[in-house]
Amino acid sequence: MKFRGKIIDIACLNHFTRVITTISKLTKTCVLRLTPDNLFFILSEKVANGGVSMWCELSQANFFDEYQMEGVTPEDNEICLEVAPENLSRALKTVQNAKALKLKLTKKHCPCLTLAADLPTLSAVSRAVTHDVPVDVIPRKLWHEFKEPHMPDFDVSIYLPPLKTIKNVVDRMKNLSNFLVLEANMSGEMNLKIETDLVSVTTHFKDLGNPPWDDGSQRDAEAMAQARLDIRRLQQFLTGQQVNPSKALCNLVHHRLLHLILLHEDVSLQYFIPTVA
Amino acid sequence: MNCVVEGNCVKAFGKAIHALARLGDDLWFDPNAKGLALRSVNSAHSGYACFLFSPLFFHRYNLPSATEKGNETIKCKLLMKSVLPLFRLPSIERNVERCQISIEEDLVKMKFFCKHGIIKTHNLRYQESDALEAVFSSHLCPNVLKAPAKLLSDMVMHFPVSQEEITLSISTGKVSLRNYYEGGNGCMKTMHTEMSLHPDEFDYFQVGSESDVTFCLKELRGLLSFAELHCLPVAVYFGAAGQPVCFSIEDMVLEATVVLATLIDCESRAPSQHTASALQTTARSTDEAVETVNPHDISAITEMVASSQGSPVHVPSHLLLLRPSQSSLPSGQGEPMETCAPAPSPAPSIVCSLLFKALSSLSEEDSATPPEVLVCFSDDEDSLGENVRRSPSL
Repeated sequence: MKFRGKIIDIACLNHFTRVITTISKLTKTCVLRLTPDNLFFILSEKVANGGVSMWCELSQANFFDEYQMEGVTPEDNEICLEVAPENLSRALKTVQNAKALKLKLTKKHCPCLTLAADLPTLSAVSRAVTHDVPVDVIPRKLWHEFKEPHMPDFDVSIYLPPLKTIKNVVDRMKNLSNFLVLEANMSGEMNLKIETDLVSVTTHFKDLGNPPWDDGSQRDAEAMAQARLDIRRLQQFLTGQQVNPSKALCNLVHHRLLHLILLHEDVSLQYFIPTVA
Repeated sequence: MNCVVEGNCVKAFGKAIHALARLGDDLWFDPNAKGLALRSVNSAHSGYACFLFSPLFFHRYNLPSATEKGNETIKCKLLMKSVLPLFRLPSIERNVERCQISIEEDLVKMKFFCKHGIIKTHNLRYQESDALEAVFSSHLCPNVLKAPAKLLSDMVMHFPVSQEEITLSISTGKVSLRNYYEGGNGCMKTMHTEMSLHPDEFDYFQVGSESDVTFCLKELRGLLSFAELHCLPVAVYFGAAGQPVCFSIEDMVLEATVVLATLIDCESRAPSQHTASALQTTARSTDEAVETVNPHDISAITEMVASSQGSPVHVPSHLLLLRPSQSSLPSGQGEPMETCAPAPSPAPSIVCSLLFKALSSLSEEDSATPPEVLVCFSDDEDSLGENVRRSPSL
């Protein structure tokens, strides 16, 4: 198993850092899956996470100037590592002005992802910084847990309002209730509702637009699909967002699932929040 | 004692107190002819900091003119948590125009003259207590680094704020810094970071003996932040592992020093215990050496300093190691035997307590090093014992 990557462009390094920082705000540990063309940050559905799962896909060519990997075997040409994205994020933040950043899979005191950077200095010599981020190699027999999630059979798909706006609303609603109902329809309307014994608050959004999926099924455009969520899960997702996505949409499976999709030019992030009763 | 701090100096004074607060819970005020010294020691006696403000720093600086018996010093110890809130940084800068500090009968009186004619007076009761001062002969240190504060800040920036200890290594070709971790458990958790610099990056680079010293980074950050604020260069003096490391800054009107004990690596690694408990045990077992230090011992030790001017690193390690059994420990290597033994002893890595002396006990005795010496660093050997460069003569 081998992996070597090199990032030279400062903008790419910056962007990479922001993606990793976003991931680090969503989860404490996740799986990093390396394939010849892509990197994936995966959080699989577990009771411990509250059933939340995440799939983040990066195209390696958009970040790395050099990228070489050899998987476990030629047939299984992938590497799966368990890593704490917070460590990666911290390491990356200290080397933002690096002339070059090398990432390597190494074995030090334990298997590590080593980040080695050359930092510019006032004198002729550069400063070398190395961060060894400990990782756990995931054996092939567990790889099936980290496959790309299927697009759910959704009832409604709708573009999201600006994330900042939703975040503001959700932050305030959190003070009033632990659960939030998100509902939307195929006419570009979305509501965020909370209801307690004393008060109920609804925020209405309209003219959001619906993505043109070719689903064929006829659905009443006005009918609302609803998802009742633990408000903290939604808030955690919104708080972590570091980058403004070019497209942000969500798919609702009535009373089952909220599937959030954020697309940037070279990164896609999918986040699944299950409903609560 | 009566002094007035004016304008921007109030902020500097406050920042100094913040830096001292990183170390210990007590703050000693020591006003004397050389200026006002503020000192702090951490609870394990493994870290010491001192800020000396010369009389020029103050708008007005008055000491009581008559001193009884010639050695009446004000021994004033305050609780850090009483003093620190008075110097909250953003508001100190914005509101306070002048600060008057006076030490009276049993009170330290701090009067803050603020904007809009507001005067805040704080009366703090103090305890009479001998300040401890670390004995450290920096001119005997084989390794010396001098660099702008910004360089050192850039070095420590790579380590998280929560990082307790780091290891500074020096060799002929480079200086490196890495985080320190006790081996064995929690492999998944600890991220290892290492950074290295070329000697050219330093204003002054002297390597007398290649070594690695491990010390507490947290306790240093206050001084680095102070130095960066005032754009002062920082000097680092150290030797082999086990000997203390000293960081010092100075300018026309003030000097500051932080002396930190360093770890001795033990070869036999017992399951790691929390370093804090190790420090406590170390301090306790050396209590005898510290507390009951009597003039007799001091002069014996200082004699060793005087007579071993030209000798290598060996002597300072005798001086600065307090463990009684290690009288023959060469250059910080080898195993301190009983500390590596199982059960009764603490963690394998031992932080050596700094050798302290009470300020007052030395005023009569001292031969080679006068009592007010904080860090006797000088570029030439022959200025040992001279205090002139510390503050301009008045």
